[in-house]
Amino acid sequence: MTAVFDALVEPFRYDFMLRGLFSALLLSVSGSLLGSVLVLRRLALLGDALSHSLLPGVAVAWLLFGRGIVSMLVGALVTGLVIAVGSALLSRLTRLKEDAAFGAFFLVAYAGGIALVSQTGTRVDLLHFLFGHILGVGPADLWLTAAAAGITVLLFGLFYRGIVLEVFDPVFSRAAGMHASWFHLGFLSLAVLNLVAALQTMGVILALGLFLLPATTAYLWCDRFSTMLSLSAALGMVGSVAGLILSFHTGLSSGPSIVLCLGAGLIASAIASPRYGLLHSITIAWRERRAVRHTTD
Amino acid sequence: MPHHDIFRLHDVTVRYGRRLALDGITTQIPCGGLVALVGPNGAGKSTLLRSLLGWVPLSRGEIRLGDLHPRHLHPRLAYLPQRAEVEWDFPIAVREVVAQGRWPSLGFFGRFTAAEKRKVDRALEELDLTALADEQIRRLSGGQQQRMFLARAIAQGADIFLLDEPFNGLDLAASAELLHLLHQWLAQGRTVIAAVHDLALARANFSHAVLLDTRLIAAGPTAEVLNDAHLDLAFRRRMPVLGARP
Repeated sequence: MTAVFDALVEPFRYDFMLRGLFSALLLSVSGSLLGSVLVLRRLALLGDALSHSLLPGVAVAWLLFGRGIVSMLVGALVTGLVIAVGSALLSRLTRLKEDAAFGAFFLVAYAGGIALVSQTGTRVDLLHFLFGHILGVGPADLWLTAAAAGITVLLFGLFYRGIVLEVFDPVFSRAAGMHASWFHLGFLSLAVLNLVAALQTMGVILALGLFLLPATTAYLWCDRFSTMLSLSAALGMVGSVAGLILSFHTGLSSGPSIVLCLGAGLIASAIASPRYGLLHSITIAWRERRAVRHTTD
Repeated sequence: MPHHDIFRLHDVTVRYGRRLALDGITTQIPCGGLVALVGPNGAGKSTLLRSLLGWVPLSRGEIRLGDLHPRHLHPRLAYLPQRAEVEWDFPIAVREVVAQGRWPSLGFFGRFTAAEKRKVDRALEELDLTALADEQIRRLSGGQQQRMFLARAIAQGADIFLLDEPFNGLDLAASAELLHLLHQWLAQGRTVIAAVHDLALARANFSHAVLLDTRLIAAGPTAEVLNDAHLDLAFRRRMPVLGARP
């Protein structure tokens, strides 16, 4: 029994693991807000593309200024904005639809980022960027994460009504005079801010996992937005703790192991959720078939 | 309740790019009654409703209620689009949607007090939704979903309801229920301006009608507006099959 307890606690006797843990816990809170909006507004894939496309910005900042947090953030914000505006222009001015424009743009940006990092850095650098490097979470990163999470929670608290209406019923939002034209851009900027904050622990590719997976899992259980937000934050936290323990004992990068733990929760929920799960649908279909057979007999 | 309010439309013209959607509409729409907007598809009924909300930039003319531009009228105005394009799988209960009706007055920060809650309860009751208040919205029938949005408008404190084809897709019972409700509202001095396709229904229930075909064909008491000559003018041009007489 004590051996199990030790295995669970031991990882967090190290400072770097604790910093990684705090960072992931903070991001679980802001990520639950962002992830829920992404899921409900059907922007999940767009968020995915966005997170990939940040690589070149981060890489350029890294080449020029080293691992400074501020420069990486600025680099990521600039590329995020260029991709968002560029693909919007491309879809408006050419025949391409928004998803194609965005998809194409992010691939090019991603390739550019990989080329940059692999030409100038080592293989290890590239791996760290892509999949996260928990040893690299310094005190400054933790402050950035705390700031990002704080700003996100604050803005969501302040504009909660506007955000709910913008996602749920934009027409009413407009009729009610609560429509905000800056919603989309503001939301993307918040997402980029949190993605950069998640970079060290999760890596560019998997950063969104910490936002998206808890929210999708919570969506399978909840019929209220507020419970979806809290459940998703809680799931993110549990997944982070489990993932870091797994990472510590197996030597797997922290990003993938957190995402794998969250993924296990998602699959279990997709099967077992009492209202929206697979078993539920199968039971209903089976009952209907039986009912039909009985009435035809 | 201000019965004497009148929407005054003067030379209202709306263009979407090159297409003329409304052409020099000048008329008055009195409040405190049931007003039917009638006309063929593409006649500009939806555009007129959205103009009354102040959402559509007019390329000519103006709309006023009293001295006010429509944009200064909410929360008195409520709008129900043809098909509510809300996210039906949003994790939200009927009561919460109706409570959104209070948000325009409360703004982002106003506190949701017990008095606010009572307004929501009353709106739910008025539209017979109390029993369904805690259901997720996907589980409602089409008619119930429409009633939920009407309840939100009531909670908002609206007294002018702009409804875009509210009878579309309703079965007989739900239509009858909606009509009953509209008549109740009429008795309470509320105003309903609705795009309607069913001429018989309009004749039987709406006191006032506006017949449109991009331009105004006729407006006034329904019986006078929806006569054969006017309908001929409004619809014939759009129906080459009927119009192709020797």
